[in-house]
Amino acid sequence: MEDYFMKTYIRLFSVVLALCLLLAACSPAATDGGNNSGGNAGGGNDTGTPPTTAAPPSELDDISTEVIDADLTATITLGNWPPDTAPDAERALFEGYKAIMLQQYPNVTIIPAYFSYTLSNYLPMARGGTAPTLFQPPFTDPQLLISQGLVADVTDALEVFGLLEKFSPSYIEMLADENGRIFGLPRDGYVLGMHININLFEEAGLMTDDGLPDYPKTLQELAEKGQIIREKTGKAGLVFPASETFGGWLWTNIAWNFGAVGDNALLYQDSDGKWIVNLTSDAAVAALDYVRSLKWEYDILNADTTTTTWSSAHPMLGAGEAAMNFAADDSVDNPTAGSGLSVDKFALVPFPAGPYGAFALTGGTCYMFAPNTTTDEAVASLAFLRLIGMLPFLDDDIIAGMRAGAAATRERGAPVLPRVPAWNDAEFIAMQRSIAEEYSNVDWRLYEDFFNSFTDGTIQLRGEEPIHTQQLYRDITAAIQRVITRAEAGVYEALERAQERFQEYLDDEVNR
Amino acid sequence: MNKPVRLGERSHKWLYDVRSWLIMLPGIALFMFFVWGPLLQSVHMSLYRTRNVELIEFVGFQNYIRVISREDFTQALLNTLSYTFWSLLIGFLIPIFLAIIIGETVKGKGFIRTAAYIPNILPGLATILLWRAFLSAERSGVFNVMLGHLGFDPISFLSEANLVIPIIIVTATWRGAGATALIYMAGMSGINPELYEAATIDGAGIWRRIRHITLPAIFNLSSTMMILQIIFIFQIMYEPLVLTAGGPDDASLSLMLLMWRYAFGGNMDFGRAAAVSVLIALMLLVFTTIYTIVNKRKTNWDM
Repeated sequence: MEDYFMKTYIRLFSVVLALCLLLAACSPAATDGGNNSGGNAGGGNDTGTPPTTAAPPSELDDISTEVIDADLTATITLGNWPPDTAPDAERALFEGYKAIMLQQYPNVTIIPAYFSYTLSNYLPMARGGTAPTLFQPPFTDPQLLISQGLVADVTDALEVFGLLEKFSPSYIEMLADENGRIFGLPRDGYVLGMHININLFEEAGLMTDDGLPDYPKTLQELAEKGQIIREKTGKAGLVFPASETFGGWLWTNIAWNFGAVGDNALLYQDSDGKWIVNLTSDAAVAALDYVRSLKWEYDILNADTTTTTWSSAHPMLGAGEAAMNFAADDSVDNPTAGSGLSVDKFALVPFPAGPYGAFALTGGTCYMFAPNTTTDEAVASLAFLRLIGMLPFLDDDIIAGMRAGAAATRERGAPVLPRVPAWNDAEFIAMQRSIAEEYSNVDWRLYEDFFNSFTDGTIQLRGEEPIHTQQLYRDITAAIQRVITRAEAGVYEALERAQERFQEYLDDEVNR
Repeated sequence: MNKPVRLGERSHKWLYDVRSWLIMLPGIALFMFFVWGPLLQSVHMSLYRTRNVELIEFVGFQNYIRVISREDFTQALLNTLSYTFWSLLIGFLIPIFLAIIIGETVKGKGFIRTAAYIPNILPGLATILLWRAFLSAERSGVFNVMLGHLGFDPISFLSEANLVIPIIIVTATWRGAGATALIYMAGMSGINPELYEAATIDGAGIWRRIRHITLPAIFNLSSTMMILQIIFIFQIMYEPLVLTAGGPDDASLSLMLLMWRYAFGGNMDFGRAAAVSVLIALMLLVFTTIYTIVNKRKTNWDM
């Protein structure tokens, strides 16, 4: 009897094992895996994206498919590919780009691989040799990646494309090592402003006679109008992501507007070159007290502030759970196309001014390359970027590629807006703006204050704090969390603690 | 006087040893590659200044000194002890109750047993995300919707510094209690049924049977499970990472999460991350020693 059961179990076990093997063998990863010489990226998307139902934009038909370089042989994994969950129009656009690229460069193999860069997911892939050839880190990370040996030197490839002379000195400083070798190129910039859900402004009666949202121009107005929105709609006036490092990042902009610049700068070098953090100035204390008041006096913040991340804040605005969100021009897709908010119910406005002045944080995203990238692979990647209109070159094909991009953006329901330029090339910038106007799907009045604010000088642009920003933001975020979760917590004490922790960190890391 | 060992017997013993070692070899090789190797590498790395995972310069115990001297280490250690306390308070007894309830159930025992085990087979990250949706303080948070229907004000479960650790422990207990209950059930199934029959004949009710037969019988098993639970909860990381990222104000920062922060939180300091992991290992070594001692104790019960 026991034998019988044992045999039955062994048979059952064998069948389960065989089924597992069969399923594994039939999976797309197994069938396509042989093509993957460039490695997998993030979601394992190189096995082929699901078919799109949309056709690529007709603008792509204007691009010449003549062979540009038959000798260039490379397999590139493109981490800037849209994810499987992206709207059909966007995926169809990239499929269209890929088809053209393969005709122009017949010996280049493109492996689409959506890769949402974070330091923690990039590091193991870079060390394991599976990072995508091309990926997009923010401006805060290139120096760290270069110093850690986690990105490829692409100076030679940039030279082949004639890009070196187009680099501004600030970008060279950001993307080069001490020997002047360059490891990436800028994609585009951003300026921090504020996203607005117009539906909630309408519901709260905060509209001008022209039918535009009567948005707050100052931080004080933000608190007051947020309170009106809370009272009239029951929704949060402001979604404030105060988890991980996000809270500290946004708070620095508020602190600048309260005067934490110049002699009160949050971070500076003393006469001995030692880095000093200064979070207990009157300006910094007033800025944190302001954030504290948004919770305990005005009650305009979303309920789960301490667990809200940058990416989870956008859907809250898009879904109408919050009326305002500190966010930039490069993320207008998220609340609109990403979360279903119609473009005519969305506005992008300047960052509110403070008692001291009006600053807006500016930064951006760059393209960098996996450490094992060869020059040919970098050249092929740059050819793709040129095709999609991300390099400062203009010809009929590139213009058609840029137009196709704008058409796809409009098709998927995201605002078509001019980019904050990363390249100082007047003709290229003018063309980008002209295409954005041609394909515009927005009421420009909902955006013009934002774009005008940094061109007419109403707002001063300011880059992120200079060193070890992520650790600084983490310590400040802890202080923010302390004062918005404990009504009795002292603002000065919370900042003093953050200051001590970060100064200790600086002494340990850079002041040794 | 020792029995003389014949030559044939000795060579047979040697052969037997070789065969035993050959059988163990794949297991030893796997252990060396996947467990002992990384463990030793981690100790090695903790003595170096690193550039991500590359060793740059030997610094002795400097990483340990710097890690321990920072305030966040003290905070993380206290939090980890708090996790352990709440885990024992909330998570230790529930599997025992669960096992007793399942054991005493007459009808639908199989269903209840499976239902209790299901959370354990769900992907860990998925269950945490599920809990996040339940615990959300926003209008969509499931618990707050329920509280709202009952007329209570919403609670920011994950923003309360005093609540966050017990809540995380509840989520971990929900996931692990079913599997632990199965172990207790296996232990209880070894109890001689005659003891229960005799007790029932003598007029003992269910509570007296549990108190005087079941609980003493599983005492040694529960001691072992307690030590294992402490070892497990000392390594808690992804629950606080996903639910709170260690917040609010580091109130849920665990030692393992601190290690993660050193490695992936922005500075890629793997040397210090390794130092934290070695310190955790040393602390766990103490618990493991206790576990080994407890495990050696044998029950004198006639099962």
